[in-house]
Amino acid sequence: MIEKIYLVMLLLFTAGILMPILTNSSPKVTNILAHGLSVLGCLAIVACSVEVFIAGGMTFTYAMGLPVGPLIIRIDNLAAFFLLALGAVGTAASIYALGYSREYYKQRLGLMAALYNCFILSMALVLTVSHVAYFLIAWELMTVVSFFLVNHEYEKTANTRAAFKYILMTTLGTVFITTALLILSMTVHSLDFQMFKGASLTNTMRNIVFFCALIGFGTKAGVIPLHIWLPEAHPAAPSHVSALMSGIMIKTAIYGLCRFYLEFLGVGPAWWGEVVLFLAIISSVLGVLYALMQNDLKRLLAYSSVENIGIILLGIGAGMVFMSNNQPVLAGLAFIAGLYHVFNHAVFKSLLFLGAGSVLYSTHTKNIEDLGGLIKKMPYTAVFFLTGAAAISALPILNGFVSEWLTYQSLFYLPQAVTGVIPRLGSVILIGLLGLTGALAANCFVKAFGVTFLAKPRSKHAELAQEVPGTMLTGMGLLSLMCLALGVWPQWMLNLLQAVVSQSAGLEVSSLFNNHWYAAAFNIPQANGIIAMPVVVGMLVVGLIAAVLVYNFNGKPKNVEGETWTCGIIPNARMEYTATGFAQPVRRAYKTVLRTKDNVTTDKSLNPYHGVKMKMTVRISYLINSWLYQPVKKGILFLVNRVKPLQSGNLQHYIGYVLLVTVVILILGVRW
Amino acid sequence: MSVLFMLIQVVVLAMLAPLVAGVIKNTKGKMQSRKGPGYFQVYYDLRKFFKKDNVFSPTVSWIFKAAPYIYFATALGAAALAPTLLFDRGLHYDSIFVLIYMLGLGRFFLALASLDAGSTFGGMGGSREMFINVLVEPVMMLTLLTVALRANGTVMSQMAGAAASSGISLSAILAAIAFLILTVAETGRIPVDNPDTHLELTMVHEGMVLEYCGRSVGLIFWGSAIKQLVTIILMVNFFLPWNPAGILPPVVWLILKVLVIAVVLAGIETGTNKMRLFRLPGLLIATGCLSLLAIIAM
Repeated sequence: MIEKIYLVMLLLFTAGILMPILTNSSPKVTNILAHGLSVLGCLAIVACSVEVFIAGGMTFTYAMGLPVGPLIIRIDNLAAFFLLALGAVGTAASIYALGYSREYYKQRLGLMAALYNCFILSMALVLTVSHVAYFLIAWELMTVVSFFLVNHEYEKTANTRAAFKYILMTTLGTVFITTALLILSMTVHSLDFQMFKGASLTNTMRNIVFFCALIGFGTKAGVIPLHIWLPEAHPAAPSHVSALMSGIMIKTAIYGLCRFYLEFLGVGPAWWGEVVLFLAIISSVLGVLYALMQNDLKRLLAYSSVENIGIILLGIGAGMVFMSNNQPVLAGLAFIAGLYHVFNHAVFKSLLFLGAGSVLYSTHTKNIEDLGGLIKKMPYTAVFFLTGAAAISALPILNGFVSEWLTYQSLFYLPQAVTGVIPRLGSVILIGLLGLTGALAANCFVKAFGVTFLAKPRSKHAELAQEVPGTMLTGMGLLSLMCLALGVWPQWMLNLLQAVVSQSAGLEVSSLFNNHWYAAAFNIPQANGIIAMPVVVGMLVVGLIAAVLVYNFNGKPKNVEGETWTCGIIPNARMEYTATGFAQPVRRAYKTVLRTKDNVTTDKSLNPYHGVKMKMTVRISYLINSWLYQPVKKGILFLVNRVKPLQSGNLQHYIGYVLLVTVVILILGVRW
Repeated sequence: MSVLFMLIQVVVLAMLAPLVAGVIKNTKGKMQSRKGPGYFQVYYDLRKFFKKDNVFSPTVSWIFKAAPYIYFATALGAAALAPTLLFDRGLHYDSIFVLIYMLGLGRFFLALASLDAGSTFGGMGGSREMFINVLVEPVMMLTLLTVALRANGTVMSQMAGAAASSGISLSAILAAIAFLILTVAETGRIPVDNPDTHLELTMVHEGMVLEYCGRSVGLIFWGSAIKQLVTIILMVNFFLPWNPAGILPPVVWLILKVLVIAVVLAGIETGTNKMRLFRLPGLLIATGCLSLLAIIAM
């Protein structure tokens, strides 16, 4: 059954790739055909994953006639979980694409639609292929296809630059992944992932594999300091592709890390987990701090992805520490926290990217300083974006809160698992920093939603905005419902995750959860915990009813309209608080990290008695760039400049080189 | 059964919250050589507010109208979760993180509403409120951890129990000082914010709700009073949990201690000046260091 669904899925996407390229139909037909096929394909992915959870995992092989052997497809619970996220988000994004692609009717629509299908297919392959060579092919296919999608609007130079930065960084990452996989396959003399389990490596080799996987997958996931491609590439792609890149593609790296650390390498030393935790907390704090500073809506969301990858890795890192300290139950809790956040982030970040895409669709600008007042022009988009913003700020009763709560719980028991004063204190500080991340995220999304959607429009573009077509709203609506369902009713997802991590050695989750309809309760040796989302919902509902009763206690009030008070002048959009202004307190308080430079210039040519024209530019510089990438770049340029004299452009010199090389080869040949 | 007790707790706390606010105002007045408003003045204010009609700016959207309801509902939710220790909950749903993020929900919507009317004051207030929250939240987590680590869990009723059963120690005193500063910040009082001001340079919370009037402002003020009472109860039951046994029933101790904290808050407000916004990071970093020391000293 699974195999049949899988084949259907492959066929649907293959058709989705070929149709738009081979048929020469009108853009409208291409759009409906290609994205309709990808909707069906994504539904097939969901069906495949559900079938795995019902009937159990499966392995099947296809003879490919290649020297590396047959293609092995293995879908276990871990793969099925990521497939479920891919299918769910992919369905919504594809429905959305039916409307959004109208923007691209004159911009190589067929190519984009084909690449889009290929992109989803490649992610599905990455998650299911269980063979070193084919995995790397699928991995590179995913990278290359998304490179083309990032570069789709190549008319803008910034996009091309972003695309090349992206391909450079991720290709470097692939080098490390390949190394890690080859070390493993050389040790067990097999290319099948299933053989890697418990490979007998020496300690040095294990550490090398650990670091290679961390660097390789960390690049793709956008872990600081390897994130530099992410905030540029994600905004450059068409919005439904950005949604998939931020929502799912970076999660395939988390999938890879889970494969390595849960399955291939097994329980490692505690410092592995501590390294992961260290990178995780740096990513989350710096990621959200940079997100708050952005005024480009999609760039803001991209930086926030860096933050959320950090939160996911906090769960996974804590799980690794617990595993090595022989705390299998706590490790299970921590991994479940991380994986729950994987799914949540996939849902709400895609929702936010689709929302940003809708704003872009109807205003043609991503700069939030030019937006405002959209809640009245685009009421549904506003509700959906608000849902995503509240979810990512971890507000109850939405899904972000559940995974944040689980992450807090697992970090809370960390001081007991680690030994030594400094690790203990460090793990306490982690909780404080996670609190800081949460507060900064709330600040960031108040700014993003408030400045974009509330008050008066700040430009003509925003004034003329209209609600987006129904297909786009349907896509966003689906994801909003998922945010709500995963927040109010986390039990089913927790049960699912229990099945996902139960296969791993070193984790013990069989008795972790004791779920009721009203609460998800977990038993850990140290204490009991309970997360009763329905109770929280009940409290808020009762509270709202009470508020309404109190409000109308003295009969219904009369509502009168009165202009906002601006000291007697008629208010206009230029009096509103700006996004830059909203972030100013944090920018100033964190100026040592952000390296801000405010520059105010006054236009002297105007008569000062008629009011002066001032311009303020705010620059922040990125520490990682100046500390890490600039020196590397300078070093490479230095070396290149040293080698450059060899290439003189003089034919005689080149003939001389050929002669020299021939002589050297001859000498070497004689010697051996 | 526990649902009924919870509802009773919510009603009682909501009804008493304006009284605590009135006590603070009155004491503050007396300390400043004024007569001060009466203990029940806040009730009279609220009654007045709830009789009034509303004026809404044409700029605002439904967010502005919905925010007071949500703020009030989250305050009631916080009151339901507050660890008064006066009844057995049966089910341990009262996690400290739920309380913190519940209050965060109210703050999120109020900050959005501050941007909605399109006035500069509102935006400034919202921006500063979120900024102060960025400073307070990590320190809040650390300070609450001192109790949670003793209780080995984050359930508030158990945390309060563990705090009561452990004796007075250096760690507990340091944590209590830290949380007192946080209470001042959370309730929007001098030196962090000034609850009595309408001067654009000094107001934070007031600036954020400047565009509200009538019943909406009634909901917000009442909600703030409830939130203040809940914070004081946290202070009392987590950081001053010791009752001399046998003399008085726990309820009386709770009431007495809440009143003492109210007087202390009034004293702090009288004795200090409003700090500049950008000196707050220093204050809260110092508070964070206090709570870290408290954890080390455990």
